[in-house]
Amino acid sequence: MAKLMPKRRLENIGLGITGACVALVAIVVIALIFMVAQQGLTTFFVDGLDPIEFLTGQHWIPEQDTYGALPMIVGSFAVTLLSTLFALPIAIGSAMFVVEVAPGFGRRVFQPFIELLVGIPSVVYGVLGLYIVNSAMRGIFGDAAGTGAGILSGAIVLAVMILPTITTLSIDALRAVPNEYREGSYALGCTRWQTVWHVVLKSALPSLMTAVILGMTRAFGETLAVQMVIGGVERSMPSGLLDPASTLTAALTAGLSNATSGSVYYHALWSLGLLLLAMSLIFILIIHVIAKRGAKAHG
Amino acid sequence: MQGFDMSRRTFVGALGAVASVAGLGLVGCGGQAASGSGADAALTGSISCSGATSFQPLVEAAANDFMDANPDVSIAISAGGSGQGLSQVAEGSVQIGRSDVFAESKLKADQIEGLVDNQICIVGMGPIVNANVDIDDISTEQLKGIFTGEITDWEEVGGTKGTINVINREAGSGTRATFEDAVLDGAEVPDSFRPVAEVDSSGTVVEQVAATEGAISYVAFNYFESNEGVKALSVDGVEPTRENVESGDFNIWAYEHMYTRSDEDEATAGVTQAFIDYMLSDEVQNGAVIDEGFIPMTDMKVQKDAEGNVTAL
Repeated sequence: MAKLMPKRRLENIGLGITGACVALVAIVVIALIFMVAQQGLTTFFVDGLDPIEFLTGQHWIPEQDTYGALPMIVGSFAVTLLSTLFALPIAIGSAMFVVEVAPGFGRRVFQPFIELLVGIPSVVYGVLGLYIVNSAMRGIFGDAAGTGAGILSGAIVLAVMILPTITTLSIDALRAVPNEYREGSYALGCTRWQTVWHVVLKSALPSLMTAVILGMTRAFGETLAVQMVIGGVERSMPSGLLDPASTLTAALTAGLSNATSGSVYYHALWSLGLLLLAMSLIFILIIHVIAKRGAKAHG
Repeated sequence: MQGFDMSRRTFVGALGAVASVAGLGLVGCGGQAASGSGADAALTGSISCSGATSFQPLVEAAANDFMDANPDVSIAISAGGSGQGLSQVAEGSVQIGRSDVFAESKLKADQIEGLVDNQICIVGMGPIVNANVDIDDISTEQLKGIFTGEITDWEEVGGTKGTINVINREAGSGTRATFEDAVLDGAEVPDSFRPVAEVDSSGTVVEQVAATEGAISYVAFNYFESNEGVKALSVDGVEPTRENVESGDFNIWAYEHMYTRSDEDEATAGVTQAFIDYMLSDEVQNGAVIDEGFIPMTDMKVQKDAEGNVTAL
C-alpha cells in the first residue's frame, strides 16, 4: 500500500461491511421466522386443524390424531412460574448480601462461583435431577409421586438452572444504583435495612424485573433437563404438582424422531415451535416495555 | 489398532453420507459409478442408512464386517428414529431406512409406492415389572385392563395390594406400537388414562421400573437381564423366549425392517442389495442377530402382516 485510500472510499467500505453484517442477521431472523411459520401454519391451513382447538384442546394423542396443546402450554408455564418462584428470593437475597453487605467477598468469591453454575451443560442438571430430585420425590411423597417425575421435579431442576442467571443480573442491577442514593438515605438516618428495602430495591426494580424475565425465558426454553425429569406425559392435563406432565419444548424434541415429514403430526410439532417462537417474542416485548418504563421513571 | 481402523472407517462413512445426501444428483451423473465394468467386479460405492435406533447396533456390527469384506464400500449409519428413517428413504435422501414398524402405519399410500420392505429379524417384547411385584404371570386381558386404566391395583391381578404405576413409551415409539397392537386388541385407550411417565428409550424404562414401586412397562427381550430390579412376566402362561416367539405361542413381537427403494439409482443399488442380502445371510442371521438379542428370520413358523394378522408359514 503505497498510497492511502481516499477517506471517502474507506468510509464507504466500512459502511458496506458493517451494513452487510446487519443485513445478514436480519435475513437469518426473517428466514427463521418465515420457515417456522410456514411449517407451523400448514397444520391449520392445509391439514385443517382448528387453531382455537389446537390451543385449548386438553388432549395430545398423535395416534388418534388429537392435537390439543394445552397440556404442554400448562406444563411449560407451570414449571416456568414455579421455578422463578423458587429461585427469585434466593437470587435477590444473595444479590443483596454481596452488594450491600460484603462487596469484597461478592466480587472475589461469590460471583466467579455463580458464574461457574451458568456454564454447566443442561444435560448434567438433567442427570442430577433424574437421580437426586426424582428419587427424593419418591422418598418424600411415596406412592403419590409415581416415578418421581412431575411438574415439581421439573420446577426444582429449573430453579437451580436459572438461579445463576437471575442472581448475576440482580447483582448488576443493585450495583447500578448510584451510591448517592444510599448516602442520602443514611444521611436521613435510615438503617441499612431501610436503605436496601426502600431505596436500593425500589430504584433497581425495572432492572430486577428484566432479570426475572430473562430467567423465565431461559426456563421456558430449556428442553433437555426438563425432559429428563418431568415424565413426558402429554396425552392429558396434569392435575397436580406431583403429576407427570410435559412442556412445549420436551414434546417437540420427543416427537420429532417418530414423526414422518409431511404428516399431520409433523406439522403439529412445528406449530408447537411456532408457539414457542411467539412466546419468546412476547417475553422480549415485556423486557422492552419494562426498560422503557424504567427509563421514564428515572427521567 | 482396531479402534483406529474403525474410526477411520466411520469417518469415510460420514464423508460418504455427506456425498450421498448433498450430491445425489452428482452421483447419478456418473461421478462415482465406476462399478459396472464386469459381472464379478468388486463392489464399489457409498450408501447411507438412517432410522430406528433399536437395532442400530446390529446393523453397525454387520456393516463393519461387510465393509471389511468389501473395502471399496462405505456404509454410513445414523440414528434418527423410525419416522425419520421412513421419510428419508421415501424422499430418497438415504438408501436404506430402518424402522420398527411397517411403513404403512407411518407413511401415506403415495409415499409407500416404490418402497421395498426387507424384514431383517424379529424383536420379541414382553411386560416387565418392578422386582418387588409378587406375580410372575399375567393374562393378555389383564394387561389390556392395566394399559387402558381399568385395572389400577395389583390386588386385581392376584398380587399384594398396591397401586399399579404404568410407565409407557412415548407416543409414536415402535416398541409401544408393537405392544399395544398385541395387547390392546383394537381397544382404544381412554383420553383420561394417565401413565406415571412416558419415556423415550428402553434403557430409561428399565431404570424407572426398577426404581418405582409397583411399576409395569414393556421392553424388548434383550433388556430383561440388564437390571436386577426388574423382572419379566410370562403372558397367559407363556414364557417370553425366542422359542415361543418362533412357534407363534408368544404374540408380542415385531419385524425390524430395512426399507429400500425399487427405483434406486444404479450407482448404489448394487451395494444396497448386496448389503441387504448379507443381512439376511446365515452368517448374520445366526451370528450378529442372535448376539444382539434378536430372533433370526430363519426359524419362524408364523408371520405377521402390516395389519397385525398372524398366519402360519
